Amino acid sequence: MKTMVIQVRSGTMMNMDTNVAVKLAQAALEKGYGVRVFGYGEAVTLVKNGQDPKRFPNVGKETKEMLEKGLEVVVCETCCKARGIARGEEIEGTKIGSLTNDMSRFVAEGDRMVTIAR
Amino acid sequence: MAESLLILVTKPPYGFEEAFAGLRAGLGMLASGQVSVSNALLVGEGTLNAIAAQKPEAVRMPSNAEAVNDLLDFEAKVYVVKEDLMELVGDVPLLEGVELIDWERARQVIDEHDMVTTF
Repeated sequence: MKTMVIQVRSGTMMNMDTNVAVKLAQAALEKGYGVRVFGYGEAVTLVKNGQDPKRFPNVGKETKEMLEKGLEVVVCETCCKARGIARGEEIEGTKIGSLTNDMSRFVAEGDRMVTIAR
Repeated sequence: MAESLLILVTKPPYGFEEAFAGLRAGLGMLASGQVSVSNALLVGEGTLNAIAAQKPEAVRMPSNAEAVNDLLDFEAKVYVVKEDLMELVGDVPLLEGVELIDWERARQVIDEHDMVTTF
């Protein structure tokens, strides 16, 4: 199975980047590809539990639903710490990890990388 | 399976998080031992990250020059597109070890890597 890595760097409420990342992941999963998402910088908010964006799409909820379909989501721990997001605040099934351990694994095992950022 | 990653840096040092984050991402790949080749290509305003006379202490920010040097210490190649640098600041001293290239070579560098990510 080919695997796509999506590196996203925008925060969930900054713009539509995380929405695009989630839709792209959904489409790739439906086509039978493996998908791994690495959230870096502001994109660590992707895994923050309890997101309630009211009338806007809830990318946290959509992400959680895709975990059951095989999506793997890891965000940068250093970026989380910088923004006051602690372990235990992430959506169950996602991971606060690291560039060195996780993004490098995604790169080494991945077939394509898509970067979504501005 | 990717054996090589190119960090394409388009953002200037300081004022934005991206360039520093990208250079550190490149270093993280090499430090992991899981990605054997992780190089950087500085284009556009990203070329400013290679300038030797950076004074990050003036803005109390981490040093992008140090981030470039750390990559070089890990035997990564750091390419700088000469045309872009010259257009922005002219012929100024660069950090020792970076490699000035033209856009024709830059396209080859991009093609030589399994994955490319932009910062």
